Amino acid sequence: MEQQGALRQGDRVEIYRASGDQRWESYMARYIGMKGVVTDPDVVINDPDALVEVTLEGTGGTHRFPQDCLRRLGTGS
Amino acid sequence: MAQESTCPVREIRQEVASALAQESIKEPRARMRAEKLLVLLEDIAQGRAGSEHLADLKAVARSLTERQDAHGADLGQRILSLLESQGEIFQSHILTRNCASGACDMLAPAPCQMACPSGIDVPSYVALIGQGRYQEAVNLIRQDNPFPWVCGLVCTHPCEFVCVRGQVDSPVAIKELKAFAAEKALSEGRYLNPPKEPATGHMVCVVGAGPAGLTAAYFLALKGHKVTVIEALPMAGGMMMVGIPRFRLPREVIDREVAFIEELGVEFRFNTRLGVEVTLQSLRKEGFEAFFIAVGAHASHRLAVPGEDLPQVLDAVRFLRDVAMGARKRPGERVLVVGGGNVAIDAARTLVRLGCREVTLLYRRSRSEMPANVEEVRQAEEEGVRLVFLTIPVEVMGEKGRVVGLRCLRARLSEPDARGRRRPVPIEGSDHIMAADAVVTAIGQRVLTEGLEHLDLRWSSWDTIVADTITAGAGREGIFAGGDVVLGPATVVEAIGAGKRAAEGIDRFLKGLPQPTMPAVPVRRARLEPWEMAASLKMDLKRCEMPLLGPERRRITFQQVELGLGEEQARREAHRCLRCDICKRCGRCVVVCRDRMEIDALKLGYVGQPGESPTDFRMTSERCILCGACAANCPTGAMQMEDRGEERLLILGGTILQRERLERCQGCGDYLGPSRYLDFVRKRTSGLAQAFAGRLLCEKCARRATAESKSGMSVPQG
Ligand code: SF4
Ligand code: SF4
Repeated sequence: MEQQGALRQGDRVEIYRASGDQRWESYMARYIGMKGVVTDPDVVINDPDALVEVTLEGTGGTHRFPQDCLRRLGTGS
Repeated sequence: MAQESTCPVREIRQEVASALAQESIKEPRARMRAEKLLVLLEDIAQGRAGSEHLADLKAVARSLTERQDAHGADLGQRILSLLESQGEIFQSHILTRNCASGACDMLAPAPCQMACPSGIDVPSYVALIGQGRYQEAVNLIRQDNPFPWVCGLVCTHPCEFVCVRGQVDSPVAIKELKAFAAEKALSEGRYLNPPKEPATGHMVCVVGAGPAGLTAAYFLALKGHKVTVIEALPMAGGMMMVGIPRFRLPREVIDREVAFIEELGVEFRFNTRLGVEVTLQSLRKEGFEAFFIAVGAHASHRLAVPGEDLPQVLDAVRFLRDVAMGARKRPGERVLVVGGGNVAIDAARTLVRLGCREVTLLYRRSRSEMPANVEEVRQAEEEGVRLVFLTIPVEVMGEKGRVVGLRCLRARLSEPDARGRRRPVPIEGSDHIMAADAVVTAIGQRVLTEGLEHLDLRWSSWDTIVADTITAGAGREGIFAGGDVVLGPATVVEAIGAGKRAAEGIDRFLKGLPQPTMPAVPVRRARLEPWEMAASLKMDLKRCEMPLLGPERRRITFQQVELGLGEEQARREAHRCLRCDICKRCGRCVVVCRDRMEIDALKLGYVGQPGESPTDFRMTSERCILCGACAANCPTGAMQMEDRGEERLLILGGTILQRERLERCQGCGDYLGPSRYLDFVRKRTSGLAQAFAGRLLCEKCARRATAESKSGMSVPQG
């Protein structure tokens, strides 16, 4: 895991590897290498186990990913 | 420039086209079939294909394999195996008129639409609002999402995070536009349900009347199924109704949108809990064939500190629910809210409105780690909520059975741990008591598993159901699950997306159709003409500001804080859209103008990599000669050059980049082109220019003038 601290709305991230989390689904493998922006870190607290919503650049769509597959590239604001 | 990924439709179309161009298919009948294939593939790639295209493609490809032409037979075989392995993609091109990879030029989807978890065709509804066609805008939204008004008020708007206008100045206010159109259409009584398919006789039971369940019910009812929703609460709306305070989302908004779902024949059974009043078995006996489990995350995590059981310690989810159901008693005068997320902020703002004298929010980490929405934190502070950071509660202090305070420790953030998190570390000797007569905790939600055990499903270690998020299938015949119960606490629009996918999965299950293996591609609902405006105006339009209720009024009432856009404001905002459903931002126009024509008139930074160079539509007029090379090379038709009356215009997605008067031939009077263009041509063809001797002539007249000057005779006209 990259040293990244809590993810915040607007942070730019990369899906840099497959997650070891049980909630990672096989179709998500196609997004590895794609970049996006965190659109919902988690609704209540900064819980490293919560899935975070990432909107992928281009035409990748919006998905919830486990956090261990995300690498922060830059902060939002 | 936007990166193009591969698409099997585009690839095979190119293969067939080059086989024909290179004449590698020799046998005449095989060639005829290959030509037919090309037409079919072009239709699919251009969004013109109908329901018969795939069957025709298969039949023609098969007949090509039977011809005595080795190359043709290979090609036919390739198409057949592509249809076998990637048929879903071909199908999706036809059904959605979007190519998710962006490779098929005319079907490249807009990023905002792709980002929307419910797949709304954003550029089309924004364009309709820009034209004042609000009812059509809402009806278009409702083809993908039954809650335009709810989403217009509380959506987390992932679409705006990827809005291309954000690369020019700031994103289009997509969410606010949706709320505007919904309110307008509803107030004018012109809000319609899409047409319903004939009844199928299938019965579906939806468990939970939250956004996921209601959305599934809506789409299933539209597909002709008989849907019953069972709900533990006495009203529909789920977390939208009891988790989001009225000042953000008025109850009437939910009620009105739910009423349209009811109008489709969806039946509601309130105060009915699965596992208590009804069970899977009893429902099966009633004739239900499929079930969608869509319960919300209504339970709270506990603080796990001594004193937590005192009656004035409330969990935020429960507190918000009670207030939403009509409770108006303030829990205390001085209230502490523990947590840093949206629920904590919602609870704090609700406490202010109930008349609590002092509302303080405690968060373990620093402001920059706070997950709550920045805008809402700002509004909370405006309303008088005090924020205290780096503070950890360790004990709720009580006297005579009543809360008197919260013992806390101050904290500092540690160095990042193995997972990269900076944890709050208590500072020794920093013990202090914060006086309070009530405490509200908002440190996390979870799904209440009670009543769902008998479904015999797989659960994750986070107390969520393990289900396929593409089809919502939960691993047992006829049982589907989606929304919070699968994702953990998520957003309203994600729940809506989950409900929509579940409806598709359930419909396919009922009809015995194979399930998809890839996430659905959103459907392009229209291809509207762009709104024309001058480049300077397009640049000058700045993002609208939402008018808000004053903080004084906000402190004492539950009145809606966002007052909504005015009509003029909304239409101007809609005109800011760059129509990325038409311009795929491939950058070919920029490259052609700069490298081939060596003019470099197009300053369209947004078609390149983010932040590469600025965009200024106004600058085109400084250099553009209206040669039309950009328009001729634009693969989507977004860039247009057009002669209108006495003028020639260059228009990109409605933005008029350049306009110039057309010069006429001084011989015959025909239009020649704009002067800058003629200058450019003259420079490149200097010999001819001299022969004109200062007169502006078309090619034909110039030739005649040259002949006359050389022969000394007058050449007859015609
Ligand atoms: S500019 Fe318009 S089409 Fe493009 S992303 Fe923004 S809202 Fe969508
Ligand atoms: S206008 Fe330019 S960037 Fe847009 S699709 Fe046409 S060539 Fe590509």
